[in-house]
Amino acid sequence: MPLDTLSTYSQTLLRQDGRRWNELRRITASISTQPASDGSSLLTLGNTMVLCTVTGPREGRGQRDNKNALVETDIHVASFATMDRRRRVRADKRIQELQSTISSAFQSHLFTHLYPRSTISISLHVLSLDGGLLVACLNATSLALVDAGVPMPSILSAVTCGVIVPTEDSKAKPEPLLDLNTAEEQELAYLSIATVSGGEGAEDKVSVLMMESRVEIATGSGKIEAMLATGVDGCREVRRKMEDVVRKHGAKVMMGLR
Amino acid sequence: MPREIDISNIERNFILEALQQGVRVDGRSLDQFRSLELEFGDEYGTVTTRLGKTRVHVQISAEVTKPLEDRQFDGIFTITTELSPIASAAYEVGRQTEQEVILSRTLEKAVRRSRAIDTESLCIISGAKCWSIRADVHVLDSDGGLIDCSCVAIVAALRHFRRPDVSVDGENVTIYTMAERVPVPLSIMHNPVCITFSFYHGGDTIVLDATRSEEQVRETSATFTVNDFELCQVSKMGGSPIDAVVLLKCINTALAKGKEINGIVAKKLAEDSTKRDVGGLIAELRAENER
Repeated sequence: MPLDTLSTYSQTLLRQDGRRWNELRRITASISTQPASDGSSLLTLGNTMVLCTVTGPREGRGQRDNKNALVETDIHVASFATMDRRRRVRADKRIQELQSTISSAFQSHLFTHLYPRSTISISLHVLSLDGGLLVACLNATSLALVDAGVPMPSILSAVTCGVIVPTEDSKAKPEPLLDLNTAEEQELAYLSIATVSGGEGAEDKVSVLMMESRVEIATGSGKIEAMLATGVDGCREVRRKMEDVVRKHGAKVMMGLR
Repeated sequence: MPREIDISNIERNFILEALQQGVRVDGRSLDQFRSLELEFGDEYGTVTTRLGKTRVHVQISAEVTKPLEDRQFDGIFTITTELSPIASAAYEVGRQTEQEVILSRTLEKAVRRSRAIDTESLCIISGAKCWSIRADVHVLDSDGGLIDCSCVAIVAALRHFRRPDVSVDGENVTIYTMAERVPVPLSIMHNPVCITFSFYHGGDTIVLDATRSEEQVRETSATFTVNDFELCQVSKMGGSPIDAVVLLKCINTALAKGKEINGIVAKKLAEDSTKRDVGGLIAELRAENER
């Protein structure tokens, strides 16, 4: 790449795309974008674009649970989502892991006991990918489930967070970066974190935490703590933006009814 | 389709009540691992790991192949896991369950993506020939702690494995048999260890190395992969939400436990090396001697 984050960040404190360390990429979202489904959303997180549709709660085929609804997830990453077009195999273990993560996160987050013996099907289509795949899918799914009217205690929001370590001074204070794009993801250590609101006055709780990079922890440099703290704050910001989207859509619906 | 035998309500409530009082059914403390045993086979790269009643067998093999197009300077390292009915009646041959995907992906992230092996050292001729290392993980008995046991087994097997020596003369590559030349160990960069925490009662009770019964009862789990000074991988795939501060404490506990387990593995490897040194003659055969 022509520019890398490490070389210029220490002088200007600006990232490759001009953001500062705690700034999110532009987030735009719409709900009720697919009238044929029970709930749908289209989320844009920077250059990452995800379309999510929710069907259900409906009668499940095959296995059923007599006490809770079952949440199942299907993710399709379009071949044109990345710069190089490639054919995606359906049995990709990486995608299956994301599907398991999203199903498990919402299985325990939603009030599934209100819909016994039913199934909630989540279908995600990734139209454009520029970092934060799991994070964008989780956010889009939250909005689609709100549109479907599935009860949940709060909106589950997700964000990625990385850390810069100046190579010349390993004892320097860690520099967390919020909401990485693809170039930053390939370069830095980062984690994806999803939180739910802890209720009145309580702190946010971590629902999903995924990290694939190696981060030094033995010397007490506080890199993990910095990433977690910045990630939790970023999730709160993302939740606020998503709640705004829901409120605007609600106001529009109320106006239409009147 | 076959399913895990469900735990009864009485047993479930008993386990949860005992954990609330800080007692485990098998008598361990909440942060105690089951006894870890390693048995190395006669061949290099063969290890059977036992973690309580969980048993995992790993076999490492190597062959010369062509490197990938986009990584011509790297060798190939793959991990193959398969859950078969020999481990538990809940598993079915061929059909990939969610647990198998999670196990496979977690081991992949813990060992391969964290670069435990230096794959650049597996390159023989760039773009043409390289070593392909394959780790076959066979789960023989499943009683919880599958990820932890498998990760220890893979790392021990990689450290135990020796590949044949090669010499390169222009485009010609000569591979020597074990009888001709001493085999070469792999270049291990670090030793990752997976530590799985199980959470109960909304995160108030944290249990290390859950058995199968405890795994069925838990609300959520988080797997941390550590070496002696780094955190290599974190997997908390949904489940009940946990405070971030609690997760940080788990990371510190995982660091301490990881050092313990790496010590056990190193000790077992040294024992196996001593056992192969029949009569202690390796000291006599050493060419480099101090003056």
